[in-house]
Amino acid sequence: MSATDLLNLLIAALLLAGVYAVMSVGMTIIYGVMKIVNLAHAGFLMLGAYFVYELYTRLGIDPLLGVFLAFPVFFFIGMAVHRILVRRIPTSDQPTLTSLLLLFGLWLVLQNLGYLVWGNSDRAILTPRTLEVLEVGPMGFPTVRLVVFAVALGALAGLEFVLHKTWFGRAVRALMQNSDAGRIVGINVDRTARVAFGVGIAFSGAAGGLLAMLYSFSPDFGGPFLLRAFVIIVLGGLESFAGVAVGSLILALVETFSILALPASYQPAIAFSLLVVALVALPGGVAGLWNRRPRLA
Amino acid sequence: MKFVRNSAVFRFALLVAILVVLPLLGLGPNAVRLLFVTFVWVTVSIAWNILGGFGGQVSFGFAVFYGLGAYAAALAVNSGLHTVVALLLAAGVAMLASFVIGLPTFRLRGPYFAIATIGVSEAVRVVMTNVPMTGGASGYRILETGPFRQLDHFYISLALAVLAMAASFEVRRSKFGLALLAIREDEDAASDLGVNPFRAKLLAHALAAALTGAAGGVYAQYAAFIHPQGVFAFSIGVAILLMPIIGGVGTIWGPVIGGVVYGLIHDELVASFPQLHLLIYGSLLILIVLFEPAGLVGLFGRWFRTLASARRIRAANP
Repeated sequence: MSATDLLNLLIAALLLAGVYAVMSVGMTIIYGVMKIVNLAHAGFLMLGAYFVYELYTRLGIDPLLGVFLAFPVFFFIGMAVHRILVRRIPTSDQPTLTSLLLLFGLWLVLQNLGYLVWGNSDRAILTPRTLEVLEVGPMGFPTVRLVVFAVALGALAGLEFVLHKTWFGRAVRALMQNSDAGRIVGINVDRTARVAFGVGIAFSGAAGGLLAMLYSFSPDFGGPFLLRAFVIIVLGGLESFAGVAVGSLILALVETFSILALPASYQPAIAFSLLVVALVALPGGVAGLWNRRPRLA
Repeated sequence: MKFVRNSAVFRFALLVAILVVLPLLGLGPNAVRLLFVTFVWVTVSIAWNILGGFGGQVSFGFAVFYGLGAYAAALAVNSGLHTVVALLLAAGVAMLASFVIGLPTFRLRGPYFAIATIGVSEAVRVVMTNVPMTGGASGYRILETGPFRQLDHFYISLALAVLAMAASFEVRRSKFGLALLAIREDEDAASDLGVNPFRAKLLAHALAAALTGAAGGVYAQYAAFIHPQGVFAFSIGVAILLMPIIGGVGTIWGPVIGGVVYGLIHDELVASFPQLHLLIYGSLLILIVLFEPAGLVGLFGRWFRTLASARRIRAANP
């Protein structure tokens, strides 16, 4: 393998990592604030993909604009889901069986609504941009991937700003650290949780739109990405946003370079193997390596 | 031995006796097939409940054990082994798989195990679709050596369901079962009281996997043809989780009722609403979680109590 190929693979991995980070960050917020593993994430990824697809095919709205529209739309969907379903189950500082099952049920419903509405054939979003490649010397950058990467970085930067510069963001971070203490200092836990759930779902929907620009999709689309998102947040130590970035990069690198050693049909097994390795070797996530201070319970 | 304590056992024995003679009373082959399928589902439903209901560890990946059991039994039968040996092999293979999944994921608490089971289930199906020895995606056939005798399959499935039921009873009243319940309620407290949560979960997982694998083996021998998209399907894993939850998770009879309901109505449901049946199951799951976490058993219990108290009030005020 030549150095150029290696470089091209590295670039591909980096571009993939950006999308993975956006995809996982929504799950991290929801897990962090509510200690709920959002299994319905997969369903919202799928809905986001079809949202952008429908806007493009029916109204001719550019998929990129569609992704931006997905943020507010899915934000409100998320808040509604929280209000109607999630608020009704007991809260806990450990993920509960109830919340897992509730969101799993929601995933089943969303997935099969998808089958009902769109059938089970694969769709893809094809724009003039889809097959363009930006050539820089010997390296090729597929334009779509560059664009998707840029949007992903923009979304993450926006989230970072909100988390660190607004009262809502401070409340979210406080609840992630210690929800009881957060309650004591006067954070409205229910409202913060509702908005955080909305933000999490907004990121799921938008990430689905971004993924739809890269891959073909069917109502079954979210499942493999749900597992990837989970692997990423486990690698990242479950509750850290910096960890998400590192986790995304690791998974993207492993997946991209595994093509050299493994047939592509075994790809879905990679994420799981990585999960097992992470659980056995790094129970505190990658962040645990340089962050070994004892945690107060 | 007091009679009161054994009345449940007595009623259970009566039920089994009725089921044993039922097919001899002139049931058609289709009714026998339906009962056979129901027993298989009841077995896996009870198995899931041992880990998920008593131990509180949700698994979405029991299709792995079901499928591995089916393939192990099919391979064993084709190499000339006796049915019972084939089923033992199926249980053993599934049990091994349970350790492979459980050893890394049970080291940590929380959702790791649940999500990992989704991953394993996807990964195993992908691998089995590509393994040439068992025909890959095109499936694997059991070569028939003798005439097809439906009643043999019926009794094997009934025996397995009874075995699963006995295991469930035994676990529920043993110290091991109490340890599982304690882990479900509060793992820290259980650990302080001297329970080893890691070992208890691993054991429950292994027991559940063995039963599920054997059930897969029973099914494979009946169907005589299995393929990865069938026995390893994610929807099988979903079904195995839904049955005990519909019936009443963490109870003795809940998973049985759930399995019976599912076994009897599933074919009908798929035939009538091919696109909708998973949607219906998903909505049902949400409704149960929100409104009746104890499932059908809880619902019946509530009706029964309402009826009983109404009768008491009527008796008090004639």
